[in-house]
Amino acid sequence: MIVGRILAIAGRILNQFRHDRRTVALIAIVPLVVTALIGYLVSEDKEPLEVVIVNRDTGAQAPIGIVNVGAELERALEDSEGIEPVASKDVQEAEDDVRAQDVAGAVIVPADLTASLLGGERASIEVVVRGVDSGVDGPVLLGTQRALASLADRLSGLAPQGTPGFGGIEIERVATSGIGALPSIDHSAPVLIVAFAFLFTYLLTGISFLRERQSGTLERLMASPVVRLEVLLGYLLGFLGFAMIQALLILGYIVLVLDVRVAGSIWLVLLILAIMVIGVVNVGIALSFLARNELQVMQFIPLVFVPQVLLGGLVWPVETLHPALRWISQAFPITHAAAALREVMVGGAGFADVAGRVLAVLAFALAMVLVGVVALRRQAA
Amino acid sequence: MSELPAVEAEGLVRTFGKVRALDGLDLSIQSGEILGLVGPNGSGKTTFIRVVAGLLKPTAGSVTVLGEVPPSRRIAADVGYMTQASALYDDLPLADNIVFFGRLFGMTKADARKRAAELAELVALTEKFQTRVRDLSGGMRQRTNLACALVHRPRLLLLDEPTVGVDPVLRRALWDHFAELNAGGTTMLVTTHVMEEAERCRRVAMIASGRAIAVGTPDELRGRTNAATLEDAYLSFSDLDGVA
Repeated sequence: MIVGRILAIAGRILNQFRHDRRTVALIAIVPLVVTALIGYLVSEDKEPLEVVIVNRDTGAQAPIGIVNVGAELERALEDSEGIEPVASKDVQEAEDDVRAQDVAGAVIVPADLTASLLGGERASIEVVVRGVDSGVDGPVLLGTQRALASLADRLSGLAPQGTPGFGGIEIERVATSGIGALPSIDHSAPVLIVAFAFLFTYLLTGISFLRERQSGTLERLMASPVVRLEVLLGYLLGFLGFAMIQALLILGYIVLVLDVRVAGSIWLVLLILAIMVIGVVNVGIALSFLARNELQVMQFIPLVFVPQVLLGGLVWPVETLHPALRWISQAFPITHAAAALREVMVGGAGFADVAGRVLAVLAFALAMVLVGVVALRRQAA
Repeated sequence: MSELPAVEAEGLVRTFGKVRALDGLDLSIQSGEILGLVGPNGSGKTTFIRVVAGLLKPTAGSVTVLGEVPPSRRIAADVGYMTQASALYDDLPLADNIVFFGRLFGMTKADARKRAAELAELVALTEKFQTRVRDLSGGMRQRTNLACALVHRPRLLLLDEPTVGVDPVLRRALWDHFAELNAGGTTMLVTTHVMEEAERCRRVAMIASGRAIAVGTPDELRGRTNAATLEDAYLSFSDLDGVA
């Protein structure tokens, strides 16, 4: 095995994209358009929505004097776009108002919020929404999240060293009616990234390899001193680079334009994606051997991709699925990759927290590499 | 020709399902010669080339290429294979295609670039060096295809119908290239069904249904059948074979 040859193949794949501007534009633009659309659907609204805030926080003694994080949050909510806070004292009344659709949502601050944060513990506030219309719930949750983010900035330095600090306030979503959580952009974004990485990697590898086979260049590769593993690794490397660029593009858009906070490590996000992409490249190679033309490569999409998206948490959260479907969804790499990404991006999870999910994706990748090797071996015998 | 033969095939059989593409082919290619492989479509020409290139394993029989049994890395490094259809990356410029194949043979990027420029000159495509292959005419593609097969200076060149769909002027030019390469010591196996081209080979092997029915210089083959042309000679040999 010679590294130079692997690099030559990977370089050639990237070179081909460089000369195929239309495909590149498509791959760059389509995910952004869809992400923007979903972002708009779940988060934007012109009129500010009324949100009740019930601040039960009693405050606590900090080095600089008495601090009341709940009161700070009230002020931050005033500044938050898209929502209009109304103060109230009664939790029950607030919940009733949400149920009756008199207000869009309610933010309930527990009495010990400041105390637990200063004590170095994790703390959460409750956000009550109806859970029926994500066009209403989304802005409430997003507005609250933005308020928390600005709060964390303003109060940074107050929290004791080595504690989650004021950035660690979590939102506990409570739905008064309807099914459980509907996706917000925070919820959808990780699945979108995973889904696009999967779809485009599959399509591009499948079609590239099909062309390689049909144009006779695969024959030429096999007649050269190249060994199959080098071809496979070259392909992996080329498409890995490509998928990573695409993922960064979507991530950048979500973070910079849609204002979604990425709580965990971007590197961990990319690592999870990379492992999945390794598997998908091999799915593309293997299925390209079953296809006679490019149309047939596309015809596999309903088989390999659509069920994963339906059951993998993009449209409906996996938890709300029928047990049998939930069980099936566990067999899909997108389910695990998306769940891991969500934990990392939204929940700030570290590697140890998502190790199980990562392992599941890795198992998929390794299994597919085997399939790819076998497919290549059968081809050139 | 005291050297070992470049290719030695004995009783070569290759089946695809029920089809016997090669059916006991005996054939040897002398080092330094141009051997023309002549036969109708489906007679096993491409299958034989693919076996020699190490892309297909024979079902039975034996074959050695440059003293080794294919597939082997050493054979791959010394054999150039020009496929029937131009096997090129359409999206890439001519230069990048040659450079890519050069690097597969272990050349550095710089060496491969230098070699690409040389080859472009050899096949008279220097001014199309940076043109994408998809924008080249059929004849230019075919010449690019040849350039890619020559990138690593192979000792044995396998040319599978190199002049199909090529106009007479270019065909002559390609054959001049072949003669030049041959004069430089490259052994060649050329498949064709243009008898005029077979005339330019040192020896011609006529095959039918996966077997060699006659091998010799064009003059010998015509002489043995009292035929005026190689085409007539082929027809008489295949009649004889049918009787036998």
